[in-house]
Amino acid sequence: MNTNLKISNVTKIYPGCVANDNVSLEFNSGKIYALLGENGAGKSTLVKILSGVIIPDEGKIYLNENKLELNSPLDAKKNDIGMVFQHFNLFETLSVFENLIIDSDEQREGLREKIDTIMKKYNFSIDLDIPILNLSAGQKQKVEIIRCLIRNPKVLIMDEPTSVLTEQETSELFLSLKKFSEEGILIIYITHKLKEVMQLCDEVAVMRRGKLVSVSEIKNENIESLAKKMVGQNLKTIKKKKAKTSSDQLIKIKNLNFTSEDPFETNLMDINFSVNRGECLGIAGISGNGQSELFQVLSGEIISEKNSIEFNDNYIGDLSPQERREYLMAFSPEDRLEQAAIPQMKIFENVALNNFKSSNFFNNGLINENKIKEHSKKIISDFNVNTDNIELKSQFLSGGNLQKLIIGRELITSPDLLICFNPTWGLDVGAINYIHETLIKINEQNKSIILISTDTDELLKLSDKISVIHKGKLSKIMNAEEVTSEKLGILMGGAN
Amino acid sequence: MIKIVKRDQPSRAIFFFTPVLAIFLTLVAGGLIFFILGFKPFEALKFFFIIPIADKYGFSELLLKATPLCLIAIGLSFCFKSNNWNIGAEGQLTFGAIVSGGVALLFYEQEGFYILPIVILAGAIGGMLYASIPAILKTYFNTNEILVSLMLVYVSKLILDYLVVGPWSNPEGFNFPETRQFSDSAKLPLLFEGLRIHAGIFLALAAVVISWFVFYKTYLGFQMKVAGFSLKTAKYAGYKGKKMIILVFLISGACAGLAGVGEITGPIGQLHREISPDYGFTAIIVAFLGRLHPVGIIFASLVVAITYLGAETAQIFMQIPKYTGQVFQGMILFFLLASDYLLFFKIKFIGSKK
Repeated sequence: MNTNLKISNVTKIYPGCVANDNVSLEFNSGKIYALLGENGAGKSTLVKILSGVIIPDEGKIYLNENKLELNSPLDAKKNDIGMVFQHFNLFETLSVFENLIIDSDEQREGLREKIDTIMKKYNFSIDLDIPILNLSAGQKQKVEIIRCLIRNPKVLIMDEPTSVLTEQETSELFLSLKKFSEEGILIIYITHKLKEVMQLCDEVAVMRRGKLVSVSEIKNENIESLAKKMVGQNLKTIKKKKAKTSSDQLIKIKNLNFTSEDPFETNLMDINFSVNRGECLGIAGISGNGQSELFQVLSGEIISEKNSIEFNDNYIGDLSPQERREYLMAFSPEDRLEQAAIPQMKIFENVALNNFKSSNFFNNGLINENKIKEHSKKIISDFNVNTDNIELKSQFLSGGNLQKLIIGRELITSPDLLICFNPTWGLDVGAINYIHETLIKINEQNKSIILISTDTDELLKLSDKISVIHKGKLSKIMNAEEVTSEKLGILMGGAN
Repeated sequence: MIKIVKRDQPSRAIFFFTPVLAIFLTLVAGGLIFFILGFKPFEALKFFFIIPIADKYGFSELLLKATPLCLIAIGLSFCFKSNNWNIGAEGQLTFGAIVSGGVALLFYEQEGFYILPIVILAGAIGGMLYASIPAILKTYFNTNEILVSLMLVYVSKLILDYLVVGPWSNPEGFNFPETRQFSDSAKLPLLFEGLRIHAGIFLALAAVVISWFVFYKTYLGFQMKVAGFSLKTAKYAGYKGKKMIILVFLISGACAGLAGVGEITGPIGQLHREISPDYGFTAIIVAFLGRLHPVGIIFASLVVAITYLGAETAQIFMQIPKYTGQVFQGMILFFLLASDYLLFFKIKFIGSKK
């Protein structure tokens, strides 16, 4: 039986960002479809709309010509749309079988037989009676897939399914997916990995900034063409003047490793780079490839070996963020609302988070409120934060103003090095330009920047040198003039 | 039609209004329970909440019960404000009482002005030692402080049990499970002739003032506030997380230990099995009812202390088990948590168009 899924003019707007801009797509069973795009391109929003997690502002969805009302994940299930999310939704301490039947309304015994048949058919071998926590990531994913298969889905959506799998598990998954497709299940495969798209899929839809960029057959594409579509042409509006490259080395990272205990974090392997004074090093990559870990290692939230980081002729790998600030480093983390600032606290209290000995915010353990307030007023006027009330809770600042406050807080002490992570994420064009100009100005004052960003345009605009991080490893460091967005896209996708 | 709408921001007025609402709802529900049990609701509530504090003696009893609640709750607010869930104040109180009681027993035949300070200090140190166990396990072994501190409560109660029936029991005590009487120099002085209220109340008031100062005027208080909102931010700012966890547990343990000292060196003057009617647990309710604010905690401790007294009065005059007091404490917390919903949501009445 043929399945036809049609997305018609779907739009979803979040405050300050259009996640899906009038997207229309059509899928037919018998093929495997890739939905390709960078982070924030809108692919997750689109599949969440298909699985009933998000309700679109506009647009309709048809399954075999019938209009679907997807108001909850349950509606999606009822309409035979199955979804396997990137992070597993399993109860670790319950057995595999219990996890499988937990959302089913069929009889227990009948189900066991059904599950056995499914497992035999697709060559899955999982003990149904052991707890989930004893399974590998690949096996857990199979449990999720079986949970979908029990309901005889017409459509199966896989959201970045290989991010936690080994190579071996990945190829097993691909075999299964091809088999499902032959059985007549319509498969939509969401990814940003170009190699996988080429290996597995028949058709590919590329999204960028909420818009559908292209739909094409894989046989007409190659990795380069897809990378170009995914990343987009870079628009060079502000281009920094080529700084006179000094050979005065400011920071040097040597053989830096980080192994995490958390399976959802990325290990860093043998990181080596250096940044000279007045230079901006851009680090590109698709998020989740170790950027956050790299930022934390550089900021001192994660302590590493003393000798692995040399800053201004001091070894600082084992120092805390506060101690590193004394050496004139500054940090602007990715998460404005949960890390860089506390929305429930007042503006001047947030300013006090960046505390230097010489700033005298705290004397003998007591808060020196006047000093903090004086300092805050200076930041607000120097960095164009659109308010004059430092007693305002920072939750009332827009994203752009909050980011200006954070960057201002970090810069007002004129540090030698600013490390920032996605500094313009989610901001409007005006704020983005302001932040970009500010960053260029820092370089002009012979100060250095390490810019970790998932926005390739931004990196090409601001960096003097660029490297790409993939699965916790840095590519070789390239001069920015030699780099094209195409080349970056290929490296970001893990190909050479 | 009634519609529930999410608030743009938690309302400050509602923040202080919900505890009052919780108390009101507790009274209504309590009245209902009395009604179902066959009592006249208003009369029963009067027995519960008014009669006990209608005279001088009753008022002194109220302060007597509110003192340990306030002291412990102040200590707990250091922990709760910084995202550390110390549930074991009852154990820290018991262990503080054991240590200070042990020291007091050493001096049982002696008199002297120096004895009382030593006994008080010993209690604070005992509570700190006991609170340091969950703190150290949390910081160095990643254990869950809720479980560890809670389970240690039962350990301390068993230690106390062993001591008062075993090695420390009064040799002239006819095998009653209690120690000798402490000497008068080891007792907190009573404030008024004929009333049981003792000098421990000054310890509680001092704790209130000090905690207010620390919370709002010091770098430590600022760091606690940041950690309470976001541990990620505290880490990014570079605060020494482990040191802070241990410090707040020590402060909290010291306060609970001091409350233990007050219980045994006050009117009772000896160690025995039941030194605390679960003050350590009830203080958790007090801390939250008082919104972790020193002044709020004073009022909350008075309100909750009434439930202890009311339960006793109700037992005597209405033959209701005194555990009704715990029912009321439970209801206060229940309604407080429930009415906190209003912090984030508001109820809108939409006039129906006819």
